Amino acid sequence: MESMLTYVALSMVLFVIGAIGVCLRRNAIVVFMCIEMMLNAVNLAFVAFSKLHGNLDGQVAVFFVMVIAAAESAIGLAIILSVFRTFESVETTDAGQLKW
Amino acid sequence: MNVISFLTGVCAVVSAIGVVSLRNPLYSAFALVINLLAMAGLYAALDAHFLAVSQVVVYAGAIMVLVLFVLMLLNLKSESGRRLGFVRSALALVIGCVVVMSALPPVVSHFSSMSQTTLSDNMRNSVGTVKAVGQELYTNYVAQFELASLVLLIGIVGAVMLAKRKSVVLAPRPGGLVGGSK
Amino acid sequence: MFELFVLLLKVGFVLNIALVLGSLCTWLERKGSALIQDRVGANRAGAFVESDRWYLKPVLPLVRMMGWLGVINTLLCDSLKGLWKEDFVPEGTSKFLHAVAPIIAVMPIMLAFAVLPLAPDFTVFGYYIHPRVAPIDAGLLFVLAMGSVAVYGVAIAGWTGNNKFSLLGSLRAAAQMISYELPMGMVFVALIVVYGTLDVYSIVEQQGELIWGFVPKWGVFVQPVGFVVLLLAGMAETKRGPFDLPEAESELAAGYFTEYSGMKFLLFWLGEFCEIALFALLLALLFFGGWQIPWVRLPEGVWWAALIGHVVLMTKVVFFCLLQIVIRWTLPRFRYDQLMNLGWKMLLPISLLNLVITAIVKVLA
Repeated sequence: MESMLTYVALSMVLFVIGAIGVCLRRNAIVVFMCIEMMLNAVNLAFVAFSKLHGNLDGQVAVFFVMVIAAAESAIGLAIILSVFRTFESVETTDAGQLKW
Repeated sequence: MNVISFLTGVCAVVSAIGVVSLRNPLYSAFALVINLLAMAGLYAALDAHFLAVSQVVVYAGAIMVLVLFVLMLLNLKSESGRRLGFVRSALALVIGCVVVMSALPPVVSHFSSMSQTTLSDNMRNSVGTVKAVGQELYTNYVAQFELASLVLLIGIVGAVMLAKRKSVVLAPRPGGLVGGSK
Repeated sequence: MFELFVLLLKVGFVLNIALVLGSLCTWLERKGSALIQDRVGANRAGAFVESDRWYLKPVLPLVRMMGWLGVINTLLCDSLKGLWKEDFVPEGTSKFLHAVAPIIAVMPIMLAFAVLPLAPDFTVFGYYIHPRVAPIDAGLLFVLAMGSVAVYGVAIAGWTGNNKFSLLGSLRAAAQMISYELPMGMVFVALIVVYGTLDVYSIVEQQGELIWGFVPKWGVFVQPVGFVVLLLAGMAETKRGPFDLPEAESELAAGYFTEYSGMKFLLFWLGEFCEIALFALLLALLFFGGWQIPWVRLPEGVWWAALIGHVVLMTKVVFFCLLQIVIRWTLPRFRYDQLMNLGWKMLLPISLLNLVITAIVKVLA
């Protein structure tokens, strides 16, 4: 069906935009938000395929992805806060003490 | 795909580009909220009603509020330093298009190989009401469900431990600072 | 085509109810607070109006009475004052976000009115009308979702003020709102366990049954703890009542809407009063039988039964609005740490325990 194809293509486009954001942005929180966007794109693909195949396994998978993304966001932002306290900045280029 | 879901998809793509390209991180966060709400609309268009409302409650209503809190408390300026050059942005765009276009042919061939009757039957069976998703979750996926709640508990405890300030004990001990028991 | 017309009529009707209830709460707040605080309140505007024109003479006693009650002052003069005040945007922040924040604060409240039914089904002139704008399958969850989205209006409003008072007030308000969403969600889940559905219309219909033969199966009898928790969590969610530290008119220099004036400020106010009406409607629908009179069974599908049901529902809603207003003007406000304590350490465990006990009783019975 063409409409399912549109949803999967949209999911791919959003995933690639998120990946470009992860590569290009330097602010750690914006990188984190682009990762969330990639997860959402994958969720959209799951839901589209679940509708295509006629069972709810895809939607259950999306539910678990959301749960894990919530836990990951809490811990990720706590880590970013700790890094901010140490380095006084959230730019990824500033946390480079281990570079030789 | 009707007009409303097409417009919602366009809105999702535009706000996604906004997340990646806006300078101020707070504006990126607002663009991501719009993106998440648009995705919730797309889920509703795909008949996943429970997921659409869960997306608004969990993602747009809790995770992004947390991100907004962190951004407002850290009070960041826009990204300092040189802006990304035109060459680098164009290269990123080209690589993105190449990736998307190379991943499309297998998907298209997969879609065109399914017959029409199975497609329409399948679409009628996969309505994601709360009751249906709940039954799937609690019968076929109950072990994963319990594990997911355990992961959330670990997340809560871990986040509190990580974000706590290390407290330095400054109060003098009873009995004086030097020697003496109790 | 006819469906679209009926839908537009329903939207107009529900919006009308929401805004009229919001304005009614504004007037009840102003005059009710005056009476509670043993003063007279507003009674000057329009109370002494005289005229010689013959077509105005029959109307004037009514206008004078309304002016004496303070209605003209609250509804007409305040609105016009708000419309004509200077709209001041602080410099250094985005004008667009400053304008959009009140809209984001008000819109989810109006959207939440869309999934709540206001009267039983009825059939008029052969057309079957279901008085709910959006019969979504996950109705109760949608209300919770709209409560989550309303946090953004507060957060953006405080940030665009570009000063520390606004930012602090808005972060406190946002933290309060998301903390009290949890007990609210747990109470909704307990209600879903008892009634077996997320659809508010069928929850109201199930409240017509009788348990043990003489007690109607109202939510307040089946879930008394849930009623108290929802009342408290709802008042904390709307930042009303003893939980109004984010507004804190005497402390934080009006908190997160310090930098708002004119119509944007009034839009925040209106959103808050419409949220009072929303919670009153939720309490009436979920816990007090909705449009049903106890032990009276009206014929279904008839238009005058629907009208009586609607009037009964509105009476209950006005009663709960009054209850919230009286609680606000009677109790002193919580300190912020006491507020968070109440939310996380008292209401959340109580609502979780309520849910567990409800589930056990439902399985065993």
